[in-house]
Amino acid sequence: MSSDKLIFRFEELGQEHNNLVGKKCANLGEMTRMGLPVPPGFAISIAMYRKFAERTGVAEEIYRYISSLGELKGQNITIFDELSHNIQGMIEGKEVPEDIRKMVGSYYEELCNKVAIPDVSVSVRSSGTESRPGMFETYLNVIGIKDVLGKIKKVWASAYTSRAIAFRVNKDIPVMADELGVAVSKMVNARSSGICFTVNPVTGDASKIIINANWGLGEGVVSGAESVDRFVVDKETLVILDIYIGKKAKQVIPQKRGADWDDVPLEKQSIPCLSNGEIVAVAKLAILLEERLGEPQDIEWAIDSDFTPPNNIFLLQTRPAKVSANKPGSVTDRMIDLIAKRFYRP
Amino acid sequence: MSEKKQQKIKIWDGVPGYDFIEEIDLAQMPSWFQDGTHSIPPVTTMFGYQWARFCGHGLKFACTELSIPTCKGWEVRILNGGIYCALHVVKDRNEIAEREVKFRQALRPWVEDFDGLWAGYKQELLSIYSKLKELDVDNATNLQLYYHNYDLMHAYMRMWEIHFMAMYSSFNTWLLLETMTKEHFGLSDQDPEFQDMMRGFDNKVYQMDKKIWEFGQLAIEMNLKDVFKENKPQSILAKLQQSEKGKEWFKKFMDYMKTDDVGGWRMRRFTDLNEPYWLEDPATPIGLVKDNIMKDISYDLESIRGEIARKRETAIAAFLNRVPPEEKDLFEGLIRLSGKASSYSEEHDLYCELFVHALMRRGYLAMGRRLAEKGTIDAPDDVFMMNPDEIDRVIMVPESHDMRWITRRRRADWKEAHKRPNPPMITNRTSIEEAIRLDLLPSGDAIALKIVVGEMPQPKPELKADLWGICGCPGEAEGTARVVIMYADLKKVRSGDILVCPSTNPSWTPVFGLVRGVITDTGGTLCHAAIIGREYGVPTIVNTQQGTSKIKTGQRVKMDAANGAIYILDK
Repeated sequence: MSSDKLIFRFEELGQEHNNLVGKKCANLGEMTRMGLPVPPGFAISIAMYRKFAERTGVAEEIYRYISSLGELKGQNITIFDELSHNIQGMIEGKEVPEDIRKMVGSYYEELCNKVAIPDVSVSVRSSGTESRPGMFETYLNVIGIKDVLGKIKKVWASAYTSRAIAFRVNKDIPVMADELGVAVSKMVNARSSGICFTVNPVTGDASKIIINANWGLGEGVVSGAESVDRFVVDKETLVILDIYIGKKAKQVIPQKRGADWDDVPLEKQSIPCLSNGEIVAVAKLAILLEERLGEPQDIEWAIDSDFTPPNNIFLLQTRPAKVSANKPGSVTDRMIDLIAKRFYRP
Repeated sequence: MSEKKQQKIKIWDGVPGYDFIEEIDLAQMPSWFQDGTHSIPPVTTMFGYQWARFCGHGLKFACTELSIPTCKGWEVRILNGGIYCALHVVKDRNEIAEREVKFRQALRPWVEDFDGLWAGYKQELLSIYSKLKELDVDNATNLQLYYHNYDLMHAYMRMWEIHFMAMYSSFNTWLLLETMTKEHFGLSDQDPEFQDMMRGFDNKVYQMDKKIWEFGQLAIEMNLKDVFKENKPQSILAKLQQSEKGKEWFKKFMDYMKTDDVGGWRMRRFTDLNEPYWLEDPATPIGLVKDNIMKDISYDLESIRGEIARKRETAIAAFLNRVPPEEKDLFEGLIRLSGKASSYSEEHDLYCELFVHALMRRGYLAMGRRLAEKGTIDAPDDVFMMNPDEIDRVIMVPESHDMRWITRRRRADWKEAHKRPNPPMITNRTSIEEAIRLDLLPSGDAIALKIVVGEMPQPKPELKADLWGICGCPGEAEGTARVVIMYADLKKVRSGDILVCPSTNPSWTPVFGLVRGVITDTGGTLCHAAIIGREYGVPTIVNTQQGTSKIKTGQRVKMDAANGAIYILDK
């Protein structure tokens, strides 16, 4: 692959391109190659960000600013908010150079043509080389090239959220170390979305598929704030073992621009947001992914209302499932769990 | 001596039933580690027997009740007055997994309410002790003394059960905090920043130190300052009886010793029963009052302690600032719980070992007097050269027995044992490292790792030090070395000395107010010397292995405690 190429269609990528475009883009490429239903889109490489940062002089500006502050470790937490505000301002304040605008513009246009929708609505997501769940930003329902370019800058700037800076400082990772790739994908017209684990993230039980789902976009499930539907499917037999219907009072849906929380109509709040056939179809895709990628997966999926079954399920991203990393529980639970695992496992 | 007689001698050896017998014990368990913290100098027969039997039981009890996944407790044996331990390591993975399920349940109440549980057990112990105190040992019948022997053993057994339940649960949180701070922030429990977060707790040790200090202030107010300044502790007692003020002061002092829940029921020496407790010989606590009076007038225990406590809160706040928001609750909880581990480690001795040992000394010495009166043994304290089974044999009709052939021989052996050190480890593994790797570390045993055996020093060649240890309390110090092996020699320590000793225990605590630095042969970051060093802000280096053998009294030594480095300046 030519080394000066800075932007790629998903189908040009695979897992081996992690360092080039970040984990999320590489995985989307891998899934596309496997023939799985992934919304079409393109990836902006990490080198593209570097080019932007050098050409606009913002890389130097950030470097000088950070150097002027001295040792950050051990300083009060408010320093991170200040740093974040200032650096994000520097990045977002720069014009995107002409050649980058042209490159992104042509790929966006190609996408619009491909799906035959002018100014197609896309999601703009961060794609770092290291997995840092929840550290960086994602923008939904982005419309038109001007908005797309603006949101790409915002994703780049999100390498400097205060939580991301604090994380790097505390882990002795250089402050400027996280440079991000960007995934731009066609928005799914999501009737329902959710996540799917091929292993129970709390108990580690790998014999069942766990699906959490809500109406609307996936952010209505991932944020964990609302009561959602929960389905358990046996991996071996594909029998649905458990159906829990959450009271789904809120969902995330596209607005004129972007997306936001909205009320779920009363009549839809207490009925399952997936049919039994869809539950099994999601489970089957998840099993396939786990088999092909060789380890348990944590998958984001959506049901597109513009398509009919069985072609209406799309995979939005996948990553290795972290068992117990997101385990809920009290401080006491965590201490006991850590003591047991750290000291008394051979 | 004929073969037959030889075998009989074995039965009546140093600590019958718990003597280390190489052919048998080493065949069963491949590595035995010396508990240097508790057996330098060598222990007596009575103490060694009780310790091996009931401390060993307490460890097994706690490992069972808490279901420690990788350890079923320790085996304890005595060799030439030295205490040796071997760990029952669980190796089968399925068994470890099964034990872990129960471990999680058993640990929970301690994590949720350590203070509440410990307070309840303290009460249980105090009520056992008050029953033991009810017996008028001097006027007791032989039968009452016979029963008392068993009551003491029962109390001792229960004390160790409680002792280790609380100790295993509290040390686990300390270890977890250390592991996590090391991992996330490169901070180990030997770092000043870590140790500052674990100092200045208001517990019974501090409350008693404060009381002693207040009695010093009271003596000054009552114009008794010179009595204390000009006399040795033993003659202070007599001098106080010569004035009304002196009598009044002494009465108040003894009221405290008798009515406080711990008070004078405190052994001068931590391990063993062969030295008096405070109530038996008030010269010991009186000596502490004197030490306080001898100090500069501006010495204000309370403000020093207040300063350390304030520093602790500042250190905790500064540390928590470095913690990512989502981990804050976890770290804060761990810091608080680890503080309890530190505090428990310091305080428990007063309610556990020091108290029950005082009662044991009182009871067994009474039996010793009874036996000595009838000529069964030479002197009352020869009872410490017997074990409880032998007392059981003779106490009902002492005049018909002669045990001197045993007690004389054992006393001679015990004295001999003082002349040569015991090996730090007995193992049939190929090296010390292998023994530690195979027979100690897989136990995951927090107590073995942090107190009894301790981590091994990591020399830093570029510092060119003469001796290496583990940092107990950071800081630099230079002064004249004072090597102290026995408690009795502690009185030779001068203000500004650097104390060099095998290990310290709660009865040594007051000397920390006097010295510039402390160096010990054994122990880890949670051993007594390290904890008290931090409380008093005295640079402390532990686990040097050979401090007392390499350093000589009178030599100038320099300590760089944060690096565990010791320099001998006069060679």
